[in-house]
Amino acid sequence: MDIEIIQGIISLLLLILLAPLFSGVVNKLKAKMTGRIGAPVLQPYYELKRLFRKETINASNSSFISRFSPILNFVAVIIAAAMLPVGFWKPLISFNGDIILFAYILGLARFFQILAAMDIGSSFEGMGAAREVTFALFAEPIFFFTIGSIAFVSGAASLYEIYHSIHLDNISYMVFVVICSISIFMLAVTECSRMPVDDPNTHLELTMIHEVMILDNSGFDLFLYQYSGYIKLFIYTVLEISFFNPFGKESYLVYAGIFIVIAFALAFLLGMAETITSRYRMKNIPQYLLFATAIGILNLLIFTFTQ
Amino acid sequence: MIEFLVFIGLPLLLAVFCYFMQDMIVQFGLTLLAAFSHICLSALVFFGFYEANLPVFFGLDALSKLFLLILSNVYFWVTLVSYSYLKKPVMPKAEEGKKFYFMLLNFYLASNSAAILSSHFGMYWVAAEATTLSVAPLIYFYRNEEALEAMWKYLFLVSVGIAFAFIGILLLTLSAEGTPLEGRQLFFADFVKNAGVLNPIWLKASFIFIFVGLSTKIGIAPMHSGDVDATSNAPAPIAALMSGSLRITALLGVMRILQIISGTSCYEFARVILITGALLSIFAAFVSMFRINNYKRMLAYSSVEHLGIITLGLGVGGLAFAGALFHAVYNSIAKVVLFLTAGNIHRRYKSRQVDHVKSALTSMPKTSWLFMLAFLAISGIPPFGIFFSELKIFEGMLFSDVPALLVLLMFFLLFIFINMGRIIFSMLYKKGSDEPALPEPERWESNHAVAIILLIILTAIAVFSPDVLYQNIIDITKDFGIRL
Amino acid sequence: MENVLSILFCLSLFYVSLTLRVKGYIAVLRSQGIILAILLLYPFIYDFSVYGVIIPLTILIIKVFFIPRYINKIILDLDIKRQVEPTIQQMTFLPLVIASMILIFLATHIISLITKIDVIPFASGFSAIVVGIYIMIFRKKLIVHVVGFLIMENGIFLFGTAVASELPMMIELGVLLDVFVVVFLMGIALNKIRSSFEGIEVTQLGRLKD
Repeated sequence: MDIEIIQGIISLLLLILLAPLFSGVVNKLKAKMTGRIGAPVLQPYYELKRLFRKETINASNSSFISRFSPILNFVAVIIAAAMLPVGFWKPLISFNGDIILFAYILGLARFFQILAAMDIGSSFEGMGAAREVTFALFAEPIFFFTIGSIAFVSGAASLYEIYHSIHLDNISYMVFVVICSISIFMLAVTECSRMPVDDPNTHLELTMIHEVMILDNSGFDLFLYQYSGYIKLFIYTVLEISFFNPFGKESYLVYAGIFIVIAFALAFLLGMAETITSRYRMKNIPQYLLFATAIGILNLLIFTFTQ
Repeated sequence: MIEFLVFIGLPLLLAVFCYFMQDMIVQFGLTLLAAFSHICLSALVFFGFYEANLPVFFGLDALSKLFLLILSNVYFWVTLVSYSYLKKPVMPKAEEGKKFYFMLLNFYLASNSAAILSSHFGMYWVAAEATTLSVAPLIYFYRNEEALEAMWKYLFLVSVGIAFAFIGILLLTLSAEGTPLEGRQLFFADFVKNAGVLNPIWLKASFIFIFVGLSTKIGIAPMHSGDVDATSNAPAPIAALMSGSLRITALLGVMRILQIISGTSCYEFARVILITGALLSIFAAFVSMFRINNYKRMLAYSSVEHLGIITLGLGVGGLAFAGALFHAVYNSIAKVVLFLTAGNIHRRYKSRQVDHVKSALTSMPKTSWLFMLAFLAISGIPPFGIFFSELKIFEGMLFSDVPALLVLLMFFLLFIFINMGRIIFSMLYKKGSDEPALPEPERWESNHAVAIILLIILTAIAVFSPDVLYQNIIDITKDFGIRL
Repeated sequence: MENVLSILFCLSLFYVSLTLRVKGYIAVLRSQGIILAILLLYPFIYDFSVYGVIIPLTILIIKVFFIPRYINKIILDLDIKRQVEPTIQQMTFLPLVIASMILIFLATHIISLITKIDVIPFASGFSAIVVGIYIMIFRKKLIVHVVGFLIMENGIFLFGTAVASELPMMIELGVLLDVFVVVFLMGIALNKIRSSFEGIEVTQLGRLKD
């Protein structure tokens, strides 16, 4: 077997296995910041374990989509994770133009989740689906403008090459990368239904966006949804961390250190955002997303014209 | 050095002095003295008896000599009547406004002189902005809501406009890229000398920005609204100042850039812009004269019209250019008379509405006759000067490449004349229903005398056509590279 | 360094077109003042001269301390509601800003092929001018119009550094002083408007018509 494939498999496994841990860290930090002790860091694993053992119950009027969608969702997210470069290892799936596949395979996952939510015919879930679609509409350009601007600059079109092209030797490139990372952070907040956009811990269906869609799922289906949610958050985290790749050029150890430090920093930021901000009003969310898009566009403009 | 002191330093010092000195008579006396020395010196300079020597950023050429004389002439007469005007203001609230009146007037003189005398675009900009600042509180003299609104609109619109002019000035720097002027200061004279090598694209852009920006101050349509509001709501002397000299000061900026552009390939482009703006503003005056019912506003629109005619003359070039300069002189004098007499009417009837003014000719004959004469003067009836200057502009247009525009211009002017006449004669002759039986006879006032003197000057200049003025205008056309 | 500061400047423009709080507007004014001051101070790190530091310091004092404080004071005195009232939907405003910015950047790029200009500061400055005008057009509160005017002035300033025109110091100071006095007069006018009209919005100013 090729060494690259082994590396790819290892990084994929890392992504899948460490994802719940990252969510646990975020929750722990958030709890600390609000003055609570909080659940243990490994709590997401326990929850997944609990859900895994439970029986799946579907609504009587649900169609095949409801049964089909959780698995598809999970598989799509895994495929996306397989395309993500960790460090300087080549990912399992990497070809020219894979950023488009990456974006749309996540889009496919979301699409089936929305279909499944509407499948049952519950009004709450339909509302959640409608919101999810609306905000996804605004979130998609963020990804393309941000990653796209780096792609445009480097001339590469696969995630691996794009991240490889990042270098931090001149100051304007550095600012460029920092601004990119800001808009990716805002994207992560949106896609993973974190605080200013969506409140993951809310107890009122009316104010939920993402959580309301999986109200009717249980057991193994819910396990799949939850797990793919954790992985998704970690995917965006890794996207963010990879901006700082050049610092870890020397050795694997340095890289691992940087990886951990930045992951912690991001978890801290997420927790901080959830502590100090309140959820935006629904009608203000598109503006927030548009702002992130604007940053992406600005990036593209500025970087194109500094050449 | 002495000329710098008289033109700019003394008014500035007096402005500071008037802030601390509360006594009105002292303020008036000193201001009048400054105005008198200003007019004396600018006349001496104009007639060539005195060779002015100004510090860096300032300088005198034929154009600024002429405009300086216009400024000091308008300012002197306005100052002369200011005291009698302040003694009996129209509205009781205006008491508060009196305190700063002379201070701001002095500041106005200093900033206007600085703008006219400047030989550097940056200096011109700073001074032009200062003129706005000095005149804006004066618009709010009456301390009522309309005046407040007018002041806000004027201040805001003109500040934004002037900011645009600043962009134009910056673009002018860009046009010097790669020429001997690169990195040098923005002196008018340098740019005129090297006009041929400037980058035409940036020069065009600069012209558009400066013209559009300053047209808020000149009152060229479609940016005239703030100016019209301000002129119609300001007290009579201030309205006279604004119409007579402030608009001319702003026009100077446009003429400076026109002077640069006239030697280059962009001249045609600038002409088109100038003529379009001018016709638009005459058209705006034409339209609004049909439905106007406020006589101060009517006069403000008349200013828009006449500045439009001047700009048209500048745009057409040739003989019309010289005519436009004569027109600037005559218009400034006639406008002072019109606004001062309109102020008298306003004081008597306590209203700016045309409908409220009835049979003015019987109740205040002196003012009314002067008002009528000034109206005839501004409409271009001989023997007043405007007739001759308009004739020159018409002649210039006839022999230029745009004779067809003359038809349009005549049409507009005819209807403006008819409508203004309709309004003014209804004010003077129409009998009101509730007339007081025996209106108290009107007494002589200083502004009647001033109006008579100004009307005499207006006629005298036209009839005798002094060589100095003629020669000066010839010099200006030479500076602009225009053959008559 | 110029590019970096211009990017920050553009970010502040996005923020100002996004936020609906008057406080955010003032914060943007402050930060833009700081950006401009750093932009002018930056060359003096290598080559210090007392004479050259005067203008950046004046900018710092006027644009970062005096004007924002003065506007804050007006807001407190007049008891202005902290919400900016737009006349059009925010969702139309922000795309409008983005679209204009794209246009400006593209146009500047095309222009830069002909003339030698710094694309980023030039385009950022021009964008600020446009955003300032948009704010004046699409907002109801008069105090916000003043902020829009100041943003426009900041844009002109940045634009001026981009075209590398060096005005003499006296004139530079004169410009700053003029802007300050304009804002000062506008503040006084706002006070008067508050006391004689019902509110301080554009809709109130409709007395003067033909």
